[in-house]
Amino acid sequence: MPFFVDVAFRYASPAVGRRAAGRALARRLLGGRLVGLMAEAQPSRLELHDLQLAQANRTVLEHVSGRFRDGAITALVGANGAGKSTLIQGIMGMLRPVKGEVRCTVPKERRAWLPQQLALDLTFPMSVEELVMTGSWPSHGALTGYCARHYRRGREVMARLGISHLAHRPLGELSGGQRQRALIGRTLMQEAELLLLDEPFANVDAETVEVLMTVLRDMAAEGATIIVVLHDMEQLARLAEEVVVLAGGHARWTTTQAIVQSHPSAIDSARFALGIPGVDA
Amino acid sequence: MMELLHEWLVAPFDYGFMRRAAVAGLALSLAAPPMGVFLMLRGMSLIGDAMAHAILPGVALGFLLAGFSLPIMSLGGVLSGLLIAVLAGSVSQMTGHREDSAMASFFLISLAAGVMLVSLGGSSVDLTHVLFGSILAVNSTALLLIASISSVIVITLALIFRALVVECLDPLFLRGQGMQGSLVHGVFLGLVVLNLTAGFQTLGTLMAVGLMMLPATTARFWSKRLEGLITIAVLLAAFASLGGLLLSYHLSVPSGPAIILLAGVGYVLSALLGRHHSLRAKLQRHAIPLGAPESH
Repeated sequence: MPFFVDVAFRYASPAVGRRAAGRALARRLLGGRLVGLMAEAQPSRLELHDLQLAQANRTVLEHVSGRFRDGAITALVGANGAGKSTLIQGIMGMLRPVKGEVRCTVPKERRAWLPQQLALDLTFPMSVEELVMTGSWPSHGALTGYCARHYRRGREVMARLGISHLAHRPLGELSGGQRQRALIGRTLMQEAELLLLDEPFANVDAETVEVLMTVLRDMAAEGATIIVVLHDMEQLARLAEEVVVLAGGHARWTTTQAIVQSHPSAIDSARFALGIPGVDA
Repeated sequence: MMELLHEWLVAPFDYGFMRRAAVAGLALSLAAPPMGVFLMLRGMSLIGDAMAHAILPGVALGFLLAGFSLPIMSLGGVLSGLLIAVLAGSVSQMTGHREDSAMASFFLISLAAGVMLVSLGGSSVDLTHVLFGSILAVNSTALLLIASISSVIVITLALIFRALVVECLDPLFLRGQGMQGSLVHGVFLGLVVLNLTAGFQTLGTLMAVGLMMLPATTARFWSKRLEGLITIAVLLAAFASLGGLLLSYHLSVPSGPAIILLAGVGYVLSALLGRHHSLRAKLQRHAIPLGAPESH
């Protein structure tokens, strides 16, 4: 599709990402320079202000402040029990903060969360296409059916993820990688502006990792804010631009470059955070 | 031959009571099986049974206060069913115990309370009627009530269908969308109670669950798709209702058990011969190894 038609189409479709379309246009015209400036000047759509989160009355994280850059992939790293899942729950509004606040301007139906322990009931009789299509229903209500446009988008999404041939396969018959592709397909369908992924590449084959990384990068380029919990150093270096390190109940914002340069031996070991500049474990 | 068929299958419906019974059975067959399919898919097959006991005290109280008046008894049944569902839900939330243990406790209490209440007010004949129903005694008021409740159930189910599907599959997705998963769950349980209340007049409180669960569990042997499951379950329920009525007419056996037993026969046959997970499918799967050459 010609680029301008694409931008016009996005402007015409409600709420999709008018901002994203504008950003794509700006990037196209100004070679990306202005985009960076815009991000600096505007408040970002996800900000944490002096956040304190607790699980069962025990504080897991405190004094967490910072902003996630729009249109960037941020990796969330830390040892087991450092509070990665807790932070994600806090951001998704499933855990009420003890103190402080999560300031998020993304409407609820544009936030997507892919949990690590799949809460999916795989015996449920549903096909891949039907799962992908559920991504569209929060935005068009409980009563209206899918129209041809939705089905066309669903097929595009499945083609992009290389699962077109699985469209009518029941979920129960999928491999881990195929299932993860279908779930990412649902978030694509949702036109998510904020995407949180908890270890999306666990139990997933190498080819699927490649496909998913490409799709995530594209989503970020289109303006989505993406936060990914990662354990693999190589994946982090290839995917993320920014890194949030959780250690000792605190969070530190840093860049992928700083992480890579500090050469941590294992990204999820308890000693991991020690070597990173600016992080006191 | 045609005359014989006519005499067996059509002539019984010349009687008004048989016609009303047939319509009541068909109305229930439209509403109950989809609920059963969802209960089964959520791993809550026995919750229907528990809820059936939960409506008993209300029905009994209605019977004590107003005599054999169906609307009052139904209202009582709905109220006590909802009360027990809410109680069980809140007890399990408060204590952190699983919902089924709370449900089991409450349904045993309500069964005892219900039987006690019925015995206080009436004879053992009334008790039999409440427990096992009498589809052949459905009058036009009862028919109107059953048809209305079935319509309400089907329409409400259509409204919450998508949310219910997503809630079964991935409750976190629904919560992430800011939709109250517990609300959908509550409305669904409310529909189950309504459905059982509609069924108790015809099949009795204990057997109303049969028309809900048996077609659903049977359908599982024939389809792997949700639409398929619901369609097959509805057809099976309708077949069992009409067939059971005819059996009860020709063999002079009670209608409720005849209907449920017919559905039960369907279940056993499907377990043996169905397309998926049945004995036949298992044997067949072992007989043809993967990639085997075509037999000559």
